Amino acid sequence: MVNQKGQFKIQQMAFMLIAVIVFFALVGIFVLAFRLSSIKETANLLEEQNAMLLVSKLSNSPEFSCENSFGGTRVNCVDFDKVIVLKQDISRYRNFWGVSNIEIRKAVGSGEEVLCSLSNYPNCNTLRLLENSSQGYDYSNFIALCWKENNEGNIGNKCEVAKLIIRYKEKI
Amino acid sequence: MKKSGLEFSFTWLFAVIIGAVIIVLALYAATKIAGSGGAETSTAAAKEIGILLNPLETSFQQDTTTTLVLPTDTRIYNKCDNFGNFGHQIIQTSQKSFNKWGELSTEIEFENKYLFSDDFEEGEVFHIFSKAFDFPFKVADAIYVTSSDKRYCFINPPGDVEEELTVLNQSNLFVNECPEQNMVRVCFDSSDNCDVKVRYTSGYVEKNSTRMYFETDTLMYAAIFSDNKIYECQVKRLISRAEELASLYGKKASILSEKQCSFNTDIRNFEILLGNYADPQDLGILLVKSNQIKQENEDSPCRLW
Repeated sequence: MVNQKGQFKIQQMAFMLIAVIVFFALVGIFVLAFRLSSIKETANLLEEQNAMLLVSKLSNSPEFSCENSFGGTRVNCVDFDKVIVLKQDISRYRNFWGVSNIEIRKAVGSGEEVLCSLSNYPNCNTLRLLENSSQGYDYSNFIALCWKENNEGNIGNKCEVAKLIIRYKEKI
Repeated sequence: MKKSGLEFSFTWLFAVIIGAVIIVLALYAATKIAGSGGAETSTAAAKEIGILLNPLETSFQQDTTTTLVLPTDTRIYNKCDNFGNFGHQIIQTSQKSFNKWGELSTEIEFENKYLFSDDFEEGEVFHIFSKAFDFPFKVADAIYVTSSDKRYCFINPPGDVEEELTVLNQSNLFVNECPEQNMVRVCFDSSDNCDVKVRYTSGYVEKNSTRMYFETDTLMYAAIFSDNKIYECQVKRLISRAEELASLYGKKASILSEKQCSFNTDIRNFEILLGNYADPQDLGILLVKSNQIKQENEDSPCRLW
């Protein structure tokens, strides 16, 4: 009789222990899920912040900027002759700016997208530099896109309004 | 017959042991979660610091200063490596909680940033100023990070450096008047009692019995504010980027020549010279070539930059 009572108590204790462990495991999973979602949120926020701050300054970085090529220092001016060369060497800059794509799109012109390459530039309207992905979120800024043009022997500067678009991907 | 003293049944003993194990496990988990929470905050802070440096890329040739205020005492660790095409700027942080430095954050890497500072800077308020590195085209912006707790006193700097520091008006940088004893004394003359000696005309900075060679004021400030190892690594990264840009300008020159917009310069040769860079002592030779192609660019009807 005493033995049976003891066995019953041990059984009761074992069930209680399983219940306690399951409870703690559930709490642990909940805490982990909450923390992971907050880490993901922070990471996405930081990606967004990076894209937002970068887009306003990228056109002035040495790989893009006109510097003094077109007479005087110009702000938010992208040298088309330089970026078209940059596109050929873009594999070296794959992780340089920490964004998934950089695109320059002329603001004026026909709606049809004509991708720029060394053979058709400047008669095109979209230059896609990093073609990692077409998915993601965009930040853009208006810039002046300038290049040298030979008009029957006369070398001149030509500039058009364009949009510099930076794309970042959300962290999974 | 009743036994004297406390009597524990097996059930009680079992419950006490398992209870103790559960409490120990719960405490261990709580400590781990709190620790990883600290590391997570530090990692986010390190990434954020890097991102906040984006606006410091100067648009013109003017130099800018900004103040970074963190919510708690923080150590910003500055590391650098030369792997890959451009090397990496690595930022790590550690934050103080309950008077104890927390776990180090994950290493956050950037390829397009160049920070000059000591191994680590400690405090709640940091002063950051940037200056363009032109060699001869703009290569990047050097970013100098100093803690507001560390004050620098520049003694007898040349006129343009004095003017620049005065215009900069950074609260931890003093010129000629050193109001406190424990300041870092940066001397441009032969006076004693200096922590940093700048031999401006000879082009080197003497710090902790080490010579750090520089060309241009941008690298002079870099040598003053940074640890020798970081300085050498970052200068190498800057030269790597200059080499890539020289290659870019070389190819642009070819495109322009197709448009009959000629540019006669030795940019390809400069690219090779940059590729042969080994340490800051080579900067002198590079500067001679840099000045030559700068002049050629200015004289050219079609400027490359």
